[in-house]
Amino acid sequence: MTAILRTGTGRTGFRLSFGGGPLPLYLGGAIILGWFVLALLAPVVAPYDPIYQDVAARLQPPSLAHWFGTDNFGRDILSRVIWSARIDLQIALFGVVFPFIIGTVLGSCAGYFGGWIDTILMRIIDVVLAFPFLVLMMAIIVILKPGLSSFYVAMALVGWVSYARLVRAQILVIKSSDFVVAATSLGYSHSRIMFRHLLPNAILGSVVFSMSDAVLVLLNGAAISYLGLGVQPPTAEWGIMIAEGQSFITSAWWITTFPGIAIVTLAMGFSLLADGLGEKLGVRE
Amino acid sequence: MMKRRLLHLAAATALSALTLGTTLAEAAGVLTIGRREDSSTFDPIKTAQNIDFWVFANVYDVLVRVDKTGTKLEPGLAESWTVSDDGLTYTLTMRDAKFSDGSPITSEDAAYSLQRIRDDEGSLWSDSYQVISDMKTPDEKTLVITLSEASAPFLSSLAMPGASIISKAGMEEMGPEAYAEKPIASGAFMVDDWLRGDRVILAKNPEFWEADRVSLDGVEWISIPDDNTRMLKIEAGELDAAIFVPFSRIEQLEQNPDLKVHLDPSTREDHLLINHEHGELSKKEVRQALDLAIDKQAVVDAVTFGIGEVAYSYVPKGALYHYADNLKRPYDPEKAKQMLADAGAEGMTLDYLVNAGDEVDEQIAILLQQQLAQAGVTVNLIKMDPSQTWDMLVAGDYDLSVMYWTNDILDPDQKTTFVLGHDANMNYMTRYNNETVKQLVADARVEMDPAKREEMYVELQKTAKDDVNWIDLYYSPYRNVSRANIEGFYQNPLGRFFLEDTVKN
Repeated sequence: MTAILRTGTGRTGFRLSFGGGPLPLYLGGAIILGWFVLALLAPVVAPYDPIYQDVAARLQPPSLAHWFGTDNFGRDILSRVIWSARIDLQIALFGVVFPFIIGTVLGSCAGYFGGWIDTILMRIIDVVLAFPFLVLMMAIIVILKPGLSSFYVAMALVGWVSYARLVRAQILVIKSSDFVVAATSLGYSHSRIMFRHLLPNAILGSVVFSMSDAVLVLLNGAAISYLGLGVQPPTAEWGIMIAEGQSFITSAWWITTFPGIAIVTLAMGFSLLADGLGEKLGVRE
Repeated sequence: MMKRRLLHLAAATALSALTLGTTLAEAAGVLTIGRREDSSTFDPIKTAQNIDFWVFANVYDVLVRVDKTGTKLEPGLAESWTVSDDGLTYTLTMRDAKFSDGSPITSEDAAYSLQRIRDDEGSLWSDSYQVISDMKTPDEKTLVITLSEASAPFLSSLAMPGASIISKAGMEEMGPEAYAEKPIASGAFMVDDWLRGDRVILAKNPEFWEADRVSLDGVEWISIPDDNTRMLKIEAGELDAAIFVPFSRIEQLEQNPDLKVHLDPSTREDHLLINHEHGELSKKEVRQALDLAIDKQAVVDAVTFGIGEVAYSYVPKGALYHYADNLKRPYDPEKAKQMLADAGAEGMTLDYLVNAGDEVDEQIAILLQQQLAQAGVTVNLIKMDPSQTWDMLVAGDYDLSVMYWTNDILDPDQKTTFVLGHDANMNYMTRYNNETVKQLVADARVEMDPAKREEMYVELQKTAKDDVNWIDLYYSPYRNVSRANIEGFYQNPLGRFFLEDTVKN
């Protein structure tokens, strides 16, 4: 089996393809589950307190006592990587859920009702898309106040557009299907048609997209923390760990390398899951 | 099609000419120095930043210079001087020297330069020169300065880069804005070109009165903000020297035989500002408790990699009147906790202002946050862009924040006035208030007997420590690096680079 890395377009960044089949689904699921369990058991499995500073034991390379070494404050990298998983999984979850809900509701309204609602929403989407994604995020966060909650708000304000466009397009396609026409002629209410008949059929694409979107959200969360606008010290988070270790990159590689690997594996997990899910549900973006 | 090709050709030629130009220039002795930021001006009175001072110390000369050790004054453009018995009249004799445009440097230019720093609206230093009541220029070579009161630090203040000698005729002809871009030099080098945000290109000033002493053909101050990049460039030989070496890289660079690491003694002191106007921080006991709760040795070890030294007085080690026996409060979080409880300030929450992107600042913040937590103090880190932090400090929008100070003049009066003298800057933004100290600072300024004066400064250091005007953290040397073929790359404790003595082999 060969893994082919291809660069995609759009916000997904990269996708790993194994030529279809359920394997990516299981592999991706297993990776995410693995991180989830680690995050849940962090107090048990992490050997040290993630924010405890032992200045005497600073900048130690990986050893038996500190598997991933220590950082410049003598904090255990392994423990910090494990505790970070809690924050980063939370980022991936909340960073996707809010835009997903907002985007789906607005997108289906636009697609179903059409007319001026559609026109207005699509223009708003155009405006949001006109800005570079990360720059807009940073601007919103700086206005609000740097921190994780501001990140979620910014994510919700900016991220919903992709979902809205996706759902709207799907709704437009199935709006003219026989079963919808039937439902309409039976005199069902708008909300019943939208939520019972249209959405379940239109949402699959969004679900698959949300998995690959999680990759982007995760990387964004790390990037925002790296820039000092997300998670605040001394909390452990992969992006902030990389930022703090950057000045030691030539003398103590372990500070940045392990959180980097952690981000890559989790991102890969989501990517594989998205691929496998898309394959299984027969959805192609 | 044709046109496009021609354009390419022209570009290629220009590019190769450019590269060739650089190579040739380098071979002839242009010193390239990497630093974090670019200069902001060449108008000596309109800046207080080291980044500017350090460049124009080699573009302008001053009347009186500070020597290499940073402890003595020596003649500059003033060949000699006499002081009247009452300490009110200074008579300076100018030496034969010329500006870079070939015109002679006269006492008129010197008087103009001093008048400007005292009276100009844009001058950041006017307070320190108000003591000058009158200046006379009986002839081209003589400058007579009359002071309104005797002032011990006056001669030292003539050596401050802000009091650099500029050309009166040049300034009047060009106007301050043009002069600040491309000044008429009185020092070893002149500004050849200034690519804003990128580099300052200096060329040797052939008219400099000590031109024989200068070996370099020119100097380029190149701004490379990222510490890692700057260090990689000097390791690769793309720079001849670099300043602001990160503490974390010193040990590694010292092992490189192609490089020379210079840890030159400085007057730099890093300290934790406390806003005395905010709630419990107005109580002396609370501030003392904070001092006890901070493990300065851990800061020295973890942040400066043992290169710094624990600070215990606002007058830096090695500077005039430094008091070596000043109180050194031990690290004692338990006692700190007790003291806070006694003062009714247990469970205190403080806002700590951090310069975002400043590696050392952020590291200290994370360390202190943890240490203060052990004394039961909750610290919120507020990361702000450096362009905003200064305004917030001035406005008093903070509880704690780390700052540093390097002396610009030999005499302790300058820093003391800024820090304890109840000056316009609210005692360096701390809002520290002690009338006895205020009076003592004023008295020490006019005391002409060195022994008595030293006593007064010792008293000031003791009182400041007892009152905890701020928390002294650490002293650290200047951290520079040069390639092995560069000789005489040296910075004196007041920050002046002696580029006139630097040789590129």
